[in-house]
Amino acid sequence: MKDMTATRIPRAINWNRLEDDKDLEVWNRLTVNFWLPEKVPLSNDIQSWATLTGPEKQLTIRVFTGLTLLDTIQNTVGAPALMPDAITPHEEAVLTNIAFMEAVHARSYSSIFSTLCSTREIDEAFRWSEENPHLQAKAKAVLDTYAPGNDPLKRKIASVFLESFLFYSGFYLPMYWSSRAKLTNTADLIRLIIRDEAVHGYYIGYKFQRGYEQLDEARRQELKDYAFGLMFELYGIENQYTEELYDEIGLTEDVKVFLHYNANKALQNLGFEALFPPEVSEVNPAILAALSPDSENHDFFSGSGSSYVIGKAVATEDEDWDF
Amino acid sequence: MLDSSLNELDYHALNAMLNLYDADGNIRFDADRMAARQYFLQHVNQNTVFFHSLDEKLGYLVAEGYYEEAVLDQYTKNFMREIWDAAYARKFRFPTFLGAFKYYTSYTLKTRDGQRYLERYEDRVVMTALALARGDEALAMSFMEEMLAGRFQPATPTFLNAGKQSRGELISCFLLRLEDNMESIGRGINSALQLSKRGGGVALLLTNIREHGAPIKGIENQSSGVIPVMKLLEDSFSYANQLGARQGAGAVYLNAHHPDIMRFLDTKRENADEKIRIKTLSLGVVIPDITFELAKKNADMYLFSPHDVEKIYGVPFSEIPVTEKYAEMVDDKRIRKSKVNAREFFQTIAEIQFESGYPYVMFEDTVNRMNPIDGRINMSNLCSEILQVNEASEFNHDLSYSHLGTDISCNLGSLNIARTMDGKDLGRTVGAAIRALTAVSELSAIDSVPSVRRGNDESHAIGLGQMNLHGFLAREHIHYGSPEGVEFTSVYFAAVAYHAIRTSCDLAQERKATFKGFEASGYASGTFFDKYTDRDWLPESERVQALFDGISLPTRDDWLALKADVMKHGMFNRNLQAVPPTGSISYINNSTSSIHPIVSKIEIRKEGKIGRVYYPAAFMNNENLEYYRDAYEIGAEALIDTYAAATEHVDQGLSLTLFFPADATTRDINRAQIYAWKKGIKTIYYVRLRQEALEGTEVQGCVSCTL
Repeated sequence: MKDMTATRIPRAINWNRLEDDKDLEVWNRLTVNFWLPEKVPLSNDIQSWATLTGPEKQLTIRVFTGLTLLDTIQNTVGAPALMPDAITPHEEAVLTNIAFMEAVHARSYSSIFSTLCSTREIDEAFRWSEENPHLQAKAKAVLDTYAPGNDPLKRKIASVFLESFLFYSGFYLPMYWSSRAKLTNTADLIRLIIRDEAVHGYYIGYKFQRGYEQLDEARRQELKDYAFGLMFELYGIENQYTEELYDEIGLTEDVKVFLHYNANKALQNLGFEALFPPEVSEVNPAILAALSPDSENHDFFSGSGSSYVIGKAVATEDEDWDF
Repeated sequence: MLDSSLNELDYHALNAMLNLYDADGNIRFDADRMAARQYFLQHVNQNTVFFHSLDEKLGYLVAEGYYEEAVLDQYTKNFMREIWDAAYARKFRFPTFLGAFKYYTSYTLKTRDGQRYLERYEDRVVMTALALARGDEALAMSFMEEMLAGRFQPATPTFLNAGKQSRGELISCFLLRLEDNMESIGRGINSALQLSKRGGGVALLLTNIREHGAPIKGIENQSSGVIPVMKLLEDSFSYANQLGARQGAGAVYLNAHHPDIMRFLDTKRENADEKIRIKTLSLGVVIPDITFELAKKNADMYLFSPHDVEKIYGVPFSEIPVTEKYAEMVDDKRIRKSKVNAREFFQTIAEIQFESGYPYVMFEDTVNRMNPIDGRINMSNLCSEILQVNEASEFNHDLSYSHLGTDISCNLGSLNIARTMDGKDLGRTVGAAIRALTAVSELSAIDSVPSVRRGNDESHAIGLGQMNLHGFLAREHIHYGSPEGVEFTSVYFAAVAYHAIRTSCDLAQERKATFKGFEASGYASGTFFDKYTDRDWLPESERVQALFDGISLPTRDDWLALKADVMKHGMFNRNLQAVPPTGSISYINNSTSSIHPIVSKIEIRKEGKIGRVYYPAAFMNNENLEYYRDAYEIGAEALIDTYAAATEHVDQGLSLTLFFPADATTRDINRAQIYAWKKGIKTIYYVRLRQEALEGTEVQGCVSCTL
């Protein structure tokens, strides 16, 4: 678990003395993006859920339990494990926010389940997630890296891979459904999660790069080798996981391309070059375009959308009331 | 670059390519056209039921109970062949994927299992024309012409339902009053269920309901206020949908000076408790001028118990002009009151708008000042463009009416400004549109809600809207919100108002009837016409004069003649214009929405039935992109200026959405609201926000994600 024994003088955090402006920028972004699953009218998807076939439903539930597991890891182990390594006190604060939002994400999948599925189906899927070798293998690969005493930068590498790569075999499915006019409110919720994970992966990668810059050539090479090694390992597992999940409805090839695209993004977050050539990373436009939460125009009768934020309150002044 | 690889993609993928730049940084309009083509090849054509002849088709559709026989029986076989031939001869094609997709998913007649299509676009247009013309061949032909040329587009409920045997109502939306008693609330919920079942959004007025903690039968602290009523309504709307065709949708309006106002707003908070959180019901706040005056002085605003107000004045709170009676009510000891700081009230509104887009706002005094009809307007509707007077109903204990009041319904339809201008005959197009909308009113009788039926029978209120303003201006290389853009808007809307009133006056002569209350209106006294007879509303700049080249516009003499005719013969319709937000119909009509600026060059449209689809702004190509600055770039002031120019000539309201970047503050929103109120805007619809992706996290090459 976390190593909290370091002998540091306790200091109150002063947000008016920033060592890295990025901490405040990301803090602000994460706090305005705060949301809870209750805001999304998931029950509007009940009719649409009923149109899915048995195998499609099972796939969807399984994908979401897989995502729940990853969010749980990131909430209880991943983000806390990064805290002792934080360079600035503000980074620690950002990480606590990340940890909390991961808990919200894990919680949201349960909201989806309780809205759409029966208890039996839910229990079956959770059992599946505990027994699935590929899912367990990827959880283990990441958790091993998070272990106490491990290299702080290696933890960041694993964390970025989790945030920016491992989630996406699962995110693919709700994006696919929404491009087919199915489960669109669920997709809204997932898009809120994607909005958060994109910032998390980017921020942890950014912190990795600041650490990496300080190192000598030999250590850099070691970390880079480690990163690509871990990526290969995870990629191998993801391939098998993807095949097992998606073969039945024939989407495996498409999902794999999406994996390549996101593996490249994860490496890019760490400041490394892409691994997969563009030919094999051309994501189906319907999925890629579905990732952007920006400026979506929805009829407000069927959903709440994913573009509202908590605003900055500023009182009006006398000059504003000049009439 | 229509290379062969595009052919292999399915239409959803092709459509999504619109949102991704090509290698040279161009928008791939060709991919979207290809998507529309592939949609027909891969999907529509294979799933359309084929008929050998029109006779076979109509015979089958009537025999199987798809088409209403009575509609077709009004016409001869010869004429039907003629109108169908004329329609098909026009070779209509959907220019965008979303237009075609939306039409086939939501409008066209399908077999009962929902699997096969029974109509093409031309069939829907002709059936709508035949149903609305009620046997008048020339009128049917003109309706068909106007619709198929894209000049006039009826609102969704009309276009979706006309001519079908099992169908919902043709009317778009309903507005109901609630009074401060259980009978009225119960009846209101029942009406909301009935109307949702039949189609159309429903708005309800909560202003008269006594506040949280008010006494019931003299016992203090008994009432639970407006929130539980909102909860009941929200659940009612989600229960009733129109055969799954459209989700039930509702709005509630509350006066800013109602004691529950802050609780009302807090129902939309991000962290609101589940018991009081309102998710799908829309909120609207009615704000009188006095609230602005108080905020200007940074004073507190008093909130008045509707229960006490009604006891003292003998009329419901919604009948009270709050600005006029404010000081009097503050000084009256018998009215219990509480207070909040007026500026904080406005700030709270802005905070909630950030989090949820709500509430809508209606500027009560502006609305009533500009209303030519006798009576008081106290609420608006789900899209904040309907502004009409109403009258309270009273009930017996068994829920029957002891006095039948009037509630509001509205039949909507919109003109495509670009196509109407291209048609060069505003009188013809507006005239046909007013007649089509009047037909909807005359064909409708909502017996399940007698107050709505009475309102419609007596008023024949309709709402002619407009769309594609931005598309038209951009095509003509005029910037939205520029002085020329605003000038065009003013001239165009004045001309539409003229022709609308002219047609309604013609209808009064033909029907030998006027709307009820005409004698007490500003039309009958002639005062309404002063602003048109005192000055010209004609183009002044060369640029705008050129736009109207070959189009005849009403002069002051025309207005004087119209005034005389109206004062002599009356008008058939109590209300004529209302500019709705036009979501769906602007896609099938290939327009930009309403008179709004575009929200994005490539709009991402998401809704329950169609999922996430991408839509290019009308007339846009890679050469004229500079005229397609979006609403966030254009800013609130230019938008409000444009709306102010139109508002001047619209007897009801206009759905005006405000757009802000996510890094704006509540103060920015408040300033825009103050500006809108100062400029004579009547209502504000949604507040919408756009958050830019954090640098480093954006989806690369995405059109709608970049500025």
